[in-house]
Amino acid sequence: MVAIEFQAAQVVRGGRVILGPLDLRVAVGGLVAVAGASGAGKTTLLRLVNRMMAADAGRVLVAGVDVASGDGAALRRGIGYAAQGVGLFPHWTVAENIGAVPRLLGWGAGRTRERVSALLRMMELPQAMAGRMPGALSGGQASRVGLARALAAGPKLLLLDEPFAALDPETRTGLADRIEAMHRAEGLTTLIVTHDLADALTRASRIVVMEAGLVVADGTPAAILADAQPAVRALVASPLALARKLAALQR
Amino acid sequence: MRAQFARALEMVPERLVAHLGLSVAAVAVAALVAAGLVLVMAAWPRVRGLVLGVVGVVQTIPALALLALFYPFLLAVSAVSERYLGVSVPALGFLPALLALALYALLPLVRGGADGLGSVPAATLDAADGIGMTRGQRLRLVELPLAAPIMMGGLRTAMVWTIGAATLATTVGQKSLGDLIFAGLQLQDWALVLVGCAAAAGLAIWVDAALGRIEAGLRGRRSGAVWLGVAALVALGVAVGGLSVGGLFLQGVGQASGAGSAASGRTETVSKPVVVGAKNFGEQYVLAALIAERLRGQGLEVEVRAGLGSAVAFKALAAGDVDIYVDYSGTLWGAALGRTAPAPRGEMLDVLRRELPARHGVNVAAALGFENAYALAMQRARARALGIKSLDDLARRAGALRLATDIEFQSREEWAALQRVYGLRFAGLESYTPVLMVRALTSGRADVITAFSSDGRIAADNLVLLEDTRGALPAYDALLLVGPKRPWLAARVAGLEGQIDVAMMREANWMVDRGEDKRTPEQAAAWLADKLAY
Repeated sequence: MVAIEFQAAQVVRGGRVILGPLDLRVAVGGLVAVAGASGAGKTTLLRLVNRMMAADAGRVLVAGVDVASGDGAALRRGIGYAAQGVGLFPHWTVAENIGAVPRLLGWGAGRTRERVSALLRMMELPQAMAGRMPGALSGGQASRVGLARALAAGPKLLLLDEPFAALDPETRTGLADRIEAMHRAEGLTTLIVTHDLADALTRASRIVVMEAGLVVADGTPAAILADAQPAVRALVASPLALARKLAALQR
Repeated sequence: MRAQFARALEMVPERLVAHLGLSVAAVAVAALVAAGLVLVMAAWPRVRGLVLGVVGVVQTIPALALLALFYPFLLAVSAVSERYLGVSVPALGFLPALLALALYALLPLVRGGADGLGSVPAATLDAADGIGMTRGQRLRLVELPLAAPIMMGGLRTAMVWTIGAATLATTVGQKSLGDLIFAGLQLQDWALVLVGCAAAAGLAIWVDAALGRIEAGLRGRRSGAVWLGVAALVALGVAVGGLSVGGLFLQGVGQASGAGSAASGRTETVSKPVVVGAKNFGEQYVLAALIAERLRGQGLEVEVRAGLGSAVAFKALAAGDVDIYVDYSGTLWGAALGRTAPAPRGEMLDVLRRELPARHGVNVAAALGFENAYALAMQRARARALGIKSLDDLARRAGALRLATDIEFQSREEWAALQRVYGLRFAGLESYTPVLMVRALTSGRADVITAFSSDGRIAADNLVLLEDTRGALPAYDALLLVGPKRPWLAARVAGLEGQIDVAMMREANWMVDRGEDKRTPEQAAAWLADKLAY
């Protein structure tokens, strides 16, 4: 079963092709990392999926349906999305933030409250945090609330844009654990955009490496580690060096 | 002094109600327009610079000029709408004041709106879009609540500016706290100025504090502060509303008690009261009071609109917004007839009597009998010592003398004419505000000053006006003018023809201008009325 399919999708800005033509299929249940340097087109790829950007040529299908066919906002309500920089609504409590999509969908207060409570538990956040304002949260806590908000209405597809940016290593690991756990528990298809391969290599089932708007490598973490292309080598160099140093220390 | 304060305080309630009503209405109109502009800027960020630029330029026009410009603009609009729709637009009073103030309030509101929307973090907007908010939901649920504190700041600035600028509405004939300030400044009645300023400032401070409370509450998301601010505004509204209802009640009582005279048949049925105009200086206030009292004595309902800008007054008369007021032949010669070459006094009067009705529908009901002309004055003793009686005598001595003028004199045609005709060349030339001019003379800083011939200080300070033997200065005969809507008023005041000589006018002017034992314009008018032959 295919969750996401790009068919010769292309994005043009100012007469220049910034993405594609791109052909890519993501199977249901996949945990796919999209990696690459800044400006490689990772975020553009992600935004084509929930139509925050529209393809200028080709098609993008979600669950077999062209995303351009229906209402954009309705499409996005059905897809979990965690924005780069989290972007919690500063004037709403944690509970109101998490309950944002249920509110847009017109859920009842009781059902929303139960779902918020369950998500706080799954995110390993204290229930008392429900009434706090986002300004009072740490970076790691805010990221988890952002993740909970993305999952609130029970989407089957989750899009994460640089979820680990600006987090310290320990917090990253904690968040990555939560993402992995949610991915399994909710039976998601997950697409993570990241410029850093370390987390992707250890968590993802598949890694797509992009450069200049095109996919240059696509495979399992082991296959990516073995890839000889300069762009891929540059991305894996730093996690590999770190791994070697750690191994040397342990000997 | 206590009586002066009591009189000033008596004037406050009615004007406070009008002032606040005007300010709130203007800001409300501006807020509607600003909301539209902000939405346009949010939808098309490219026009942002253009909109802020245009609104900013409006702000650079002095408020006084903006108000004055709206008057002729509305007159033109009225002429067009009357021709095609048969509906006339009021050009004097509330409407021009409302529009000018609304325009003036636009900048802080638009800027506050734009800055407020601009302050919402990009990641928050991205998240709002990404979770599936529509454009409207994003605006309503995210952008407006987050922009509210900054927008509130803009509203606060707009409100305070508008309450301050609304004092200028007096110059276009709209009742406001400026009535006290303008009248006080002209009559040197500091109690009036002080009370007017204090009332306007107090109003501004109260509203500012209340809106500030709401702004802080929105910023810190404390609903208590927001409600406190709202309560302060409601309290103000109730208090002012109470004044307004109280005022209407008193007016009602006044009308009921006046009904007796109506029954006796002396009162004429007129839909609107006769409007007596006055420009913004003491003599005009006195004359307006005199005319108003005379018309009331004939059973007419009368309203005085004092403090009109000099440029507005004649237009207001010609347009029928004012029914009767006093202007001066030399002024009308240029402003109403567009003449530049001076003419002898008699010829000027003849031409005005002939051409004002033809060109503006305005009739000269009476020449009051005195002039309020530009003249040069010296201290009597000093003029005698130097043997100076006329401008010819002065010209011979001017090289050793210093002249002090009012601020506008040196840019006026009169000064050019004096230099041309008499060849006047002074040793020194300085300009002062009118109050300080006489002091410059008495303190010896100047030997000759410019003066208005009906100024009360001429007799009081023992000054002598130098004779204009060659007729270089135009005549400024005080003329009682009647507008086109109620031409029959001319017959009611025709008896004033030639009744007020310059000595009487000087004395009446002195009563309201002097520092001690000051009289109100109404008192001075009553004194003047007693002196009149009929």
